[in-house]
Amino acid sequence: MTERARITCPACGAEMNRHAEKVDSSGTDGFDSELGGVLMEFHTCPACGLVVERRAE
Amino acid sequence: MRVPSPSDEMSEPNAPLFLPVILGTPRQGRMSEHVARYVHSRVSRLAGVETELIDVRALQFPLDDAGESIKNPTFSAAMMRADGLVIVAPEYNHGYPGLLKHALDTNLKEYIHKAVGICGVSAGPWGGTRVVENLLPVLRELGLVTIFWDVNFASVRKTFDAATGELLDRGYEKRLDKFLGELVWMSKVLRHGRRQVALSG
Repeated sequence: MTERARITCPACGAEMNRHAEKVDSSGTDGFDSELGGVLMEFHTCPACGLVVERRAE
Repeated sequence: MRVPSPSDEMSEPNAPLFLPVILGTPRQGRMSEHVARYVHSRVSRLAGVETELIDVRALQFPLDDAGESIKNPTFSAAMMRADGLVIVAPEYNHGYPGLLKHALDTNLKEYIHKAVGICGVSAGPWGGTRVVENLLPVLRELGLVTIFWDVNFASVRKTFDAATGELLDRGYEKRLDKFLGELVWMSKVLRHGRRQVALSG
């Protein structure tokens, strides 16, 4: 398994760390029938601690 | 409740952990408040830890909606900043207080891969063992990582002085020490993981 490209922290500009994925069962945009919802990913900034949630690519 | 703000300290690996204590009931005459204030005082004395006592009664969430659409900016900011949480939860009818769940449900990303420990409270002899067990799957679904230590404050009207809030049963000190030790360890490990360990795939 490979590590994905990192996103930039919108608060401080540092590279964020993608550390979690979780299914949103109530989501509809990008619904994954095998997972039973929309897969969301969570990134934390190692510099300022900001957490960003977005739909997984 | 003070509004936390990001600081340069957060970028340092040895920066203080932020471990707020959540008092999980708004009920008038709540003995859980004595428990929460005692636990908060113990957390505040830990080296390398900052804390804050968050009272769900003070958050004043609306009751005509639920979930992230009713986020309280101050509460959410505290959860965003937190490295771990202590939840002080009285057991009501074998379950958790509705307002605690209502408050917890207003966040999600703020909780992912953060540590949580539960202090159950009961008027009876079981110390909130049921509320602890009922909360675990909720916290898990919110992305929190539960520690394997609990503290069960049983017969709370005998355990704390109702008027002064003084802890009368010093036997709880050792168990709380172990609980907090584990919470601090898990909070440090998860902070490192959130910031430095990438999810593969």
